[in-house]
Amino acid sequence: MKHSTTHSTPSLQDRYGRAVAARLSESVEALPYDISERLRAAREQALDLRRSLKPATQPQVLSQGAAAALSLGGGDGSLWHRLAGLIPLLLLIAGLVAVSALDDEFVAQDLAEIDTAILADDLPPAAYTDPGFVQFLKSRLESAQ
Amino acid sequence: MASERELSDFLKSVEKRAFKRSVYHVRNDEAALDIVQDSMMKLVEHYGHKPIEELPMLFQRILSNCTLDWFRRQKTRNALFSNLSDFESDDIDGDFDLLETLDTTEGSSQTESAEKLTERAQVLHAIEQEIQELPPRQREAFLMRYWEDLDVAETAAAMGCSEGSVKTHCSRAVQALGKALKAKGIRL
Repeated sequence: MKHSTTHSTPSLQDRYGRAVAARLSESVEALPYDISERLRAAREQALDLRRSLKPATQPQVLSQGAAAALSLGGGDGSLWHRLAGLIPLLLLIAGLVAVSALDDEFVAQDLAEIDTAILADDLPPAAYTDPGFVQFLKSRLESAQ
Repeated sequence: MASERELSDFLKSVEKRAFKRSVYHVRNDEAALDIVQDSMMKLVEHYGHKPIEELPMLFQRILSNCTLDWFRRQKTRNALFSNLSDFESDDIDGDFDLLETLDTTEGSSQTESAEKLTERAQVLHAIEQEIQELPPRQREAFLMRYWEDLDVAETAAAMGCSEGSVKTHCSRAVQALGKALKAKGIRL
């Protein structure tokens, strides 16, 4: 009478398992044609799906890249990558400063032109009847004295 | 990231085994084809960007999950888990020696007669039947470990259980197969 084989060595167990598996592999080679073809079609369909997914993923990657640039790199990039990520931010700040400076200059120029036009223009006689102007002249005389 | 060519070659290399594995589980060619197709789509959709080395393990896991999903959809979960003997300590009786079922005579004749071919087909059919009779977890562990040639750790990861469980499942599966095949007079 044999004793329990639950104590059989792992190598024997593995050997037997592989022997069974080797026989199973024969069944894989002998698959019917229609099954093989349907598997091929399934594979093609999966690859088509990959092709259709690819263009959709590219903008996603780009937008992630832009977000990463705005958030100072964020990920595990090198120092140079982080610095490169700062460039768009610096350009944006420089642009805003330039626009603001130009705007100030244009406003000042407009005011100067108005002042010049007022000062260069002859004073209309009606201005002397204006109580506000009379008051202005008086206050200038007082301050001059 | 795996190139399209690599992905195609990988799928080609696993599709037939995946199909047979699914057939052993669900016992239905149509369902097995659906499961394999589903697994391929999921692999490509969710893991197409992964390096090619990671795909075999991922595919095994996806295939297992898709098979389980199929059972859930079919509402035959009770049937699937009806035999939970792999969680119980139902020791196989002691009158069986695995060694006896291993044919140690190296390579019989290379030339096979028609009779031999028929015999091989019958043996294969018997093996497939016995594999289908195994409890699901034992079958899963056995096929991954010995047929897909994953090691214990990889099988455990794919099955979502401990390495000890994998060893137990495999041991019991081999014992059960050996005993059943011996009863049919089959030596490997």
